[in-house]
Amino acid sequence: MRNRLWIAAFVAVLFVSSMSLAQAAQGRGQGAAATPSSTASLPFDPHDLSGIWSRNSQGYGGGGTCRGCGDRGFSNDVPAMTPEGQKRFEANKPSYGRALGTPAAAQHPEEAVGRRRAVPPGQGNDLVLKCNPSGMPRMVLYPDPMEFVFDKNGSQVVQTFQWTHQWRTIYTDGRKVPEDPDVNHWYGYSVGHWDGNTFVIDSYGFDDRTWVDHFGYPHSDQMKLQERYRRVDHDTLELSMTITDPKTYTKPWVSETKKFKLLKKEEISYDGWYGMLEEICAPIDEVDNFVERVVNPAGGVESGK
Amino acid sequence: MGNQWKRVTGVLCAIVEVMVLSIPVSAHHGTNISYDHQHPMTVKATVTEFRFANPHAQIYFDAKDEKGNIVHWSGELTNPSNLMHAGWTKKRSEKELPPGTPLTITMAPAKSGAHAGVVLKIINEKGEQVLLGREQQLE
Repeated sequence: MRNRLWIAAFVAVLFVSSMSLAQAAQGRGQGAAATPSSTASLPFDPHDLSGIWSRNSQGYGGGGTCRGCGDRGFSNDVPAMTPEGQKRFEANKPSYGRALGTPAAAQHPEEAVGRRRAVPPGQGNDLVLKCNPSGMPRMVLYPDPMEFVFDKNGSQVVQTFQWTHQWRTIYTDGRKVPEDPDVNHWYGYSVGHWDGNTFVIDSYGFDDRTWVDHFGYPHSDQMKLQERYRRVDHDTLELSMTITDPKTYTKPWVSETKKFKLLKKEEISYDGWYGMLEEICAPIDEVDNFVERVVNPAGGVESGK
Repeated sequence: MGNQWKRVTGVLCAIVEVMVLSIPVSAHHGTNISYDHQHPMTVKATVTEFRFANPHAQIYFDAKDEKGNIVHWSGELTNPSNLMHAGWTKKRSEKELPPGTPLTITMAPAKSGAHAGVVLKIINEKGEQVLLGREQQLE
């Protein structure tokens, strides 16, 4: 009788563990790849980038990246930095990745240093925490939905981002990026053109306070960023990027290939309303409440800092 | 026979509890690193404030410490888009959590020792789960 009870218990544990794993797997977005999409093999026009694209494990946002979509870092393979680049790198204190000074951080030398020095946000200096702009390329690395809106004249494309409700204009009227802009932009100055089936965006003139990614890799105001978007099937948009910033990195820095999935209407409808959410980071909410009342105490930091 | 069932059930529950709470989640805004996920705690709480706000919802609540004194807690919740995606609209969430609502809250408290934490699970007086459990938040 006792043996039967333990056998029953064992079977129950197996059942529950498979349910938990399935739930976790689905939740972590492996469901996005595990269930083959019925629309992925539909015909498509590679010059049509319309639709709402996301690297999110769910549709809406706030989650991790979808399986096979690439993580939120630019690349684990970082070129050597210049002395100035290194100094700025060390001054940045991110909250993502493995915790600074822990055995877990020490045991993973295959991970770039930036990914192994996280501190509680109250002790860090990530400008995005207090609703400052993400800039580029950090904004396209964030796994929230985004959309390209191509104008009918072919003179410009607007790329909109759900995260913090931002947008940027990419001019396709043949102009070049300014060589020495008077004012640097948080999102740079961008021009775009088609290279076969790849939409290429060249940008320059960036405010140097933003981070390349959430691991706190810096860039200077001399950064040139090239993004190459290619729709590879009906549901998938690939992105690879190159940063050329000799003031910070001794060689061009090429990103890992990132993937976006085309969201279906039902994945991005809420309360009967289809479209991206208005995900504004308003200091009156995020700074005055979340940072002051949760983040700072949790980080052992006095409020008002 | 009764004791055997109790033992088996107890072991089963412990195993499931460990499995559910040990599913790792990646951090949103990197705040996860502030909390002690190895030592979650559960308290009987009374809501003082609930904010359905971007990019982090928050719940503020009172709970008694070991000496019976009221302590004011701040709780981090997930991004509203996660809640909306799971059917927890602003209206529904706010209806469930007005000030004065009694709850059982499980959280990972701040490593700093401050009365702040990330909320892992909320159970209302009827025994129903409110909002998303941490393992479902996937931030």
